[in-house]
Amino acid sequence: MTYAAQRDAHVPHATIDAPKDYLHITHTVKSWLLSTDHKRIGILYLISITGFFFIGAVAAGLLRLSLVVPDGSIFTNDTYNKLFTIHGVVMVWFFLIPSIPATFGNFLLPIMIGAKDLAFPRLNTTSWYVFMTGALFAMLSVLFGGIDTGWTFYAPLSTAFSNTYVSLALVGVIIVGFSSILTGLNFIVTVHTMRAPGMTWFRMPIFVWTMYAVSMIFLLATPVITMALILLVMERTFKIGVFDPALGGDPVLFEHLFWFYSHPAVYIMVLPGMGVISEIVPAFARKRLFGYKFVAYASIGLATITFFVWGHHMFVNGQSDYASVTFSFLSFAVAVPSAVKVYNWTATIHKGTLVLDTPMLYAMGYIGLFVIGGLTGLFLATLAIDEHVHDTYFVVAHFHYIMVGGTVLAFLGGLHYWWPKFTGRMYNEAWGRVSAVLMFIGFNVTFFPQFILGYLGMPRRYHVYPAEFQLMNIMSSAGATILAFAYVFPFVYLLYSLWFGKKAPDNPWDAKGLEWMTTSPPPLHNFIKPPVVDFEAYDYEAKVPEA
Amino acid sequence: MSDTLADGVGLHVIEQFVDAEQQRHAGQLGMWAWLVTELLLFAGLFLVATVLRVQYPESVHLAVSHLKFWIGATNTGVLIVSSLTMSGAIQASRLGLQRLTVYCMYATAALGTLFILLKLYEWYDDIVEHMAPWLNQPYELAFDKPSTLFTNLYWVTTGLHGLHLTTGVTILMVLALQARAEGYLSRHQNRIEVFGLYWHFIDLIWIIVFPMLYVIGR
Ligand code: HEM
Ligand SMILES: [Cu+2]
Repeated sequence: MTYAAQRDAHVPHATIDAPKDYLHITHTVKSWLLSTDHKRIGILYLISITGFFFIGAVAAGLLRLSLVVPDGSIFTNDTYNKLFTIHGVVMVWFFLIPSIPATFGNFLLPIMIGAKDLAFPRLNTTSWYVFMTGALFAMLSVLFGGIDTGWTFYAPLSTAFSNTYVSLALVGVIIVGFSSILTGLNFIVTVHTMRAPGMTWFRMPIFVWTMYAVSMIFLLATPVITMALILLVMERTFKIGVFDPALGGDPVLFEHLFWFYSHPAVYIMVLPGMGVISEIVPAFARKRLFGYKFVAYASIGLATITFFVWGHHMFVNGQSDYASVTFSFLSFAVAVPSAVKVYNWTATIHKGTLVLDTPMLYAMGYIGLFVIGGLTGLFLATLAIDEHVHDTYFVVAHFHYIMVGGTVLAFLGGLHYWWPKFTGRMYNEAWGRVSAVLMFIGFNVTFFPQFILGYLGMPRRYHVYPAEFQLMNIMSSAGATILAFAYVFPFVYLLYSLWFGKKAPDNPWDAKGLEWMTTSPPPLHNFIKPPVVDFEAYDYEAKVPEA
Repeated sequence: MSDTLADGVGLHVIEQFVDAEQQRHAGQLGMWAWLVTELLLFAGLFLVATVLRVQYPESVHLAVSHLKFWIGATNTGVLIVSSLTMSGAIQASRLGLQRLTVYCMYATAALGTLFILLKLYEWYDDIVEHMAPWLNQPYELAFDKPSTLFTNLYWVTTGLHGLHLTTGVTILMVLALQARAEGYLSRHQNRIEVFGLYWHFIDLIWIIVFPMLYVIGR
């Protein structure tokens, strides 16, 4: 088959020499656990992080349950502290950070650039085992009775006061960091060295650009928090006194080291989502992505500026005014590339031929919620406002809009978009649409009241609150119930589709990109014939050339 | 790589790569990426050291004057020479001189081991002189509390560097033993190049650590 024929959806595949797809080559459990195939490893990650998502979600449900009454009578204070810590640690480190890169990134990045696999397949397998080992430690700390420091592990609470299993959880987080680093390293080398002939940098899908940007953050930011957390463990064990003021240490130093990683980490969580949206929107608007180069550069821009804004988490901890003003300014600057992306998606939709299938519904939800999250980020970056709303539910709402409204919606949108490719099956479209809409509604009911609560002064991380806040807390908990259904539905109908779904065609959405030019699911080395790329990314308006 | 390889030197292409050039490039880039990560890992410690030096210059001076400068200096020399022998191994491997390559690797591993032995002796001495505040024993400079922080940092930093060096020597010994096999250079020459990057990096880290701990403010 010529590549032109390969690109033409009407030309049937040469089925005679089609090798078995990656799911059906071998069937044993061992062949999965020891697989070096990037696609299988992506699926292993997908299964693991789904598990962690549900653990984190149960904790969240219990938190919302506790907040239904103002007097905190449902759980003890200690239990409440442990619940929000488990929720935060699991969601951030075991779900959101690996979510899109380790699953879709692993599965799609080599295919999208026309490679047979990642550059270091065995390293890739290792990274999953490292991830699971870290998770084991963190889960053990939960089983032994939990931790109560919050996901931020601030010293000296975490070093001198907490008598829970902090060190165990810290070791877990440190180990998980190495799995991110290994994944990032693999992606960077793969993008640099393994692109198919003709796949120039500016022909790569935006998803690949965002994976590249995220990998940079993995490599440059993760080791810093690794070191900070190692020092925390040392301090708990040997009293070495880096952060504990009673020993002469400096607790603000921990905040610096922590946020030097953790602000970039929020872009680890959000950039991949932007990548997914940049794939879905053109496919369902049937148009080229507007301003491709701007979106590509904006990804790199975000990954750069994000390293210089960590101080906006520390406006009220006594850092100098000059520092605060500078960090405030830089935080505004970070909004520019974010806005560029939003405008470009909107411009792509404008006058497009919209197809409102499930992935597109998720994508539209994403854009709306991301805008609210981003704009409230600007409120928070304004010094005078932050004095007022720092450490209140306003902040909680802000980051949930971005991390849940943004990233989780993008994750689910991507999951639906590529599900046929991953599994070779179609899910039930009606259920998909219902869940997507339900999720958007449930999310807003849950988190919008929190903006108001925070503005009125309800602090985060307390479960006893003045009675006048009860109504809005009940609203929020009710929304969480809707949200719970919206998460369980896809889980059920996607699983169902694995056995009973229709067989998926190679390109169910009529989308562009190398992943749609191979079979669903793809064969072991991704392509029946190594692809040669002679077309631009997102060439939705291009005519199919003569074969 | 701009450096040309002698005939019969190269590598065995594994399945995910298209050709040797791609594989060679990927291996080396991978190591560079890893080293960038490592550098930022150590950077956390460098930052802490700087903060301590700014906050407590007197105490740091006191602690520094109790460190064993001459052992540190000797070890610096040892590592620099080991980088030289490692470069020798790489150059020899490019030229296809297998015996020489292996000997240079042995020499490098020996120098690395020498560093570790000297370091162990130094740590032993530190403990004898009560310069290990994290141990359950009286601390020599207990009258000056902030000096504890710097002394502990010295242990963490040299410990982490020592761990890297021990790993390095272990890998090097395995590689050297493998490299004696018939035709090794025609299949795996790139491994020596890639490992060389790591070795030079450990050396480089020490060259930052040494002045940071032993020299400045002595
Ligand atoms: C448009 C750019 C953004 C700006 C200007 C911004 C600004 C801020 C500011 C100033 C704070 C500190 C508020 C306080 O503690 O008083 C904050 C908190 C936070 N933001 Fe953002 N943000 C932006 C985007 C994001 C993104 C993309 C994410 C995640 C994907 C995110 C996640 C968070 C989190 C997790 C916190 C709270 C951390 C904690 O204290 O536990 N933000 N943001
Ligand atoms: Cu931030």
